[in-house]
Amino acid sequence: MNIVALVKYSRDVTEIKVDPATSELRTAGVPERVGLIDKNVVEAAVRLKEATGAGLKVIALAPATARDSFKDVLAMGVDEVVLIEDPFDGEAEAGIVVRLLEAAIRKLDPVDVVLCGFASDDGYSFQVGPRLAERLRRPLLAYARGITPEGGGLRVEQNLDDRMQTVTAPLPALVSIDEEAFPPRRTTLMDALKAKKKPVNVWGIETELGLSRADLESSARIADTRLTGVVVRRQQRVLKGQDLGAMADELIDALEQAGVLKGAA
Amino acid sequence: MTAASQKPQLSLDARLGLDRYEIDAEQSHIAVDHDKCKTCTTRPCLVCCPAIVYRWTDERVAVAYENCLECGTCQIACDHGGRGAITWHIPAGGFGIAFRYG
Amino acid sequence: MERFDVIVVGAGPAGATAGRALAQAGLNVLVVERAATPGAKNVSGGLLYSRAVAEVYPEFWKHAPIERAIAAHQIVMLGEHTSTALDFRSAQAATPPFNAFSVLRAKLDPWLATQAEEAGASLISGVNVDALLVENGRVVGIQAGPDQIGADVVVVAEGTAGLLLKQAGLRGPHNPHDVSLGVKEVIALPPDVIEERFQCDAETGAAYTLVGSTGGVEGGGFIYTNKASLSVGVVVKIDSLYASGRHPHEILDAFKAHPLVQRLVRGGEVVEYSAQTVHRGGFHLATQLVGDGYVVAGSAARLLVNNVLTLRGMDFAITSAVEAAQAILQARFAGSYTAATLGNYVERLKATSIYQDWRTFKDAYGLMENPRLFSLYPDLAGEVLERLLTADTKPGSKALGALSEALKGKASWLTLSQDMLQIARGMVL
Ligand SMILES: Cc1cc2nc3c(=O)[nH]c(=O)nc-3n(C[C@H](O)[C@H](O)[C@H](O)COP(=O)(O)OP(=O)(O)OC[C@H]3O[C@@H](n4cnc5c(N)ncnc54)[C@H](O)[C@@H]3O)c2cc1C
Ligand code: SF4
Ligand code: SF4
Repeated sequence: MNIVALVKYSRDVTEIKVDPATSELRTAGVPERVGLIDKNVVEAAVRLKEATGAGLKVIALAPATARDSFKDVLAMGVDEVVLIEDPFDGEAEAGIVVRLLEAAIRKLDPVDVVLCGFASDDGYSFQVGPRLAERLRRPLLAYARGITPEGGGLRVEQNLDDRMQTVTAPLPALVSIDEEAFPPRRTTLMDALKAKKKPVNVWGIETELGLSRADLESSARIADTRLTGVVVRRQQRVLKGQDLGAMADELIDALEQAGVLKGAA
Repeated sequence: MTAASQKPQLSLDARLGLDRYEIDAEQSHIAVDHDKCKTCTTRPCLVCCPAIVYRWTDERVAVAYENCLECGTCQIACDHGGRGAITWHIPAGGFGIAFRYG
Repeated sequence: MERFDVIVVGAGPAGATAGRALAQAGLNVLVVERAATPGAKNVSGGLLYSRAVAEVYPEFWKHAPIERAIAAHQIVMLGEHTSTALDFRSAQAATPPFNAFSVLRAKLDPWLATQAEEAGASLISGVNVDALLVENGRVVGIQAGPDQIGADVVVVAEGTAGLLLKQAGLRGPHNPHDVSLGVKEVIALPPDVIEERFQCDAETGAAYTLVGSTGGVEGGGFIYTNKASLSVGVVVKIDSLYASGRHPHEILDAFKAHPLVQRLVRGGEVVEYSAQTVHRGGFHLATQLVGDGYVVAGSAARLLVNNVLTLRGMDFAITSAVEAAQAILQARFAGSYTAATLGNYVERLKATSIYQDWRTFKDAYGLMENPRLFSLYPDLAGEVLERLLTADTKPGSKALGALSEALKGKASWLTLSQDMLQIARGMVL
């Protein structure tokens, strides 16, 4: 069995600041890394590898200079990283990303299981999983919180917000991982030493994937024009006093007035 | 120094909020032997920590380890000016403070 | 058990340099750093004195991420409302081989670590060394989580805290009297504002060392110019700190509120708050540098030159690492790594000029013990000049008269002259 985990090299969202004047997000100079959601994907993939003895590769879209950022991923138990040299500097729309990933997965054929995040740390478009499944013509098992190999296929527990659903599907399949479902393992010195010997192969989109940049660009349909933060205005009131009971009454009154509590009295 | 001419300084919390941490939710890297604190009258830990990680609450030292800047002062201060109650480990590999400038 | 010829603990200036030197000589070297990226745990005031460093990293200023060449050094005595300054400018310090550069460790340390990697050392970061493996009194390797890794020699370059040495019983406890806490802010300012305010150009910068205004707590302050920010901080003795009952950040705030400091940092945006301990540099604090199977380099060995006006730990760390590496190579040639064969490190270190500076300034340590240096004299200097420079209605006085007026009730002439002699001994003679 062969597993491929898709990992996004994304902006460190904790480092993005909002310009107080314009609400625009200051993204310049924000460091990039393998995001937490994607480390969850890798963890899920490594567990599946351990359960099945499968081979495990990671495909990532990133600049070639990002090589070193994948040492943690390799230390977690991945065999090899394929780094698609991103000609769009992380700015490509989902449609293009999906075409690049599809080409890379086809090149690694046969791939039985593709794992990806339910969304990416920074883009958060939720599109890559479903669109890629469609292009690869595979079943999509979304929001997985548990993955077990079963009878030549997979059994997956899906988080559908108000309920959990267990489904099975034959291979090949595509599984998207739910938020925080697979907390990444802590690696050891020996893991890190072994990771040093594992390959990070850089693929060019034209040389290795046989795609043309111009063709990809012309297929873009959506352009980002402005990125701003949403400002949530909170009412803040500090209640002061000595008598706790009276303060509690005051709090209830205030919450009623604000419409948060209804008819408590 | 006239207080009026000063721009207000950032609060300590605001300053710590500027820093970048990879918080280890699984374990604290600071252990306090609370029995030893019972006989400690000087409590230098409450004074000397640049992040006020130690606070005296409910008759014992409460430790907000997630704010630690990993300077090493508390260990030295408690060993000598306190009762040697603090065991300060380095946080698990890669966790804790991560300075962007340093 | 996995083995390396040498394991280096810590990728600060000492560890990275030792790793590079040993890998260059063809040894199989492992460098282990606890921070996810080298430098992310490290704080310094930020002046890298360049002479010794350039011997190891030739013309490093062309490649390394330095901020500004320090061409102006201001030494300021802060009174409560006065400041008395000595302004030293040197055109030579702005040209090779320079005197010092401002640096930020989160940038410098990764560069140093890369030099080690390029020389062939294996760098693993984000992993703690949990213990030194000791067998029959001899260090034989390291423990890191579940893994034990063996080595002929371990280079302990773990920095000031020195927890591994302490745990292995290879060093005594730190004394709060000998260690200071530095608290620092990086304050962003546009380069053109810095250049105008500190009277420098695009490549050069200024350093301020400030005595006084740590509210009577023994210590001092610093302001260094980076490319697009200032490093602003106070360094205070730990015993004096907790005796004062004041929180470190409050001492920093009071320092920043001094009119002189306020003027220099005005309009800036604080972008980082950091803290780190540093030994006060006493020559007598030197610890054991070698033992069977290990050597200690950099601030883990308490190597630091501190003459009140300059703090030199990074260049000392680099120099010590080079000498430690040379001694290891000699021991390797002899085929044994005992305290005796590695002992050459100590001899080599003693022959370096930075070590001699350390010895030369050993009286500065006593000087820093003198409480009047931090409270009385900064005020006194200001008062004397105030009397001489202020045209008021009282009759004017000459310098000596002004001094004796200012001294009244605070210290005797005898104390003053004794202190002056001590200052001269500590820093000049
Ligand atoms: C406030 C302040 C201001 C200073 N100003 C100056 C100055 O202006 N100029 C100057 O030259 N010096 C200055 N110094 C001193 C200087 O910072 C140190 O002397 C210097 O950093 C020593 O280098 P080092 O490599 O020995 O140790 P460090 O730089 O401390 O490096 C030690 C490394 O080991 C790692 N480590 C520790 N324990 C472990 C472990 N168990 N496992 C794995 N890794 C570990 C740490 O993360 C760190 O990266 C200042 C220090 C302070 C605190
Ligand atoms: S200084 Fe040490 S012994 Fe004293 S209260 Fe603090 S932690 Fe406890
Ligand atoms: S190491 Fe420093 S910041 Fe952390 S708890 Fe101790 S004194 Fe506070």
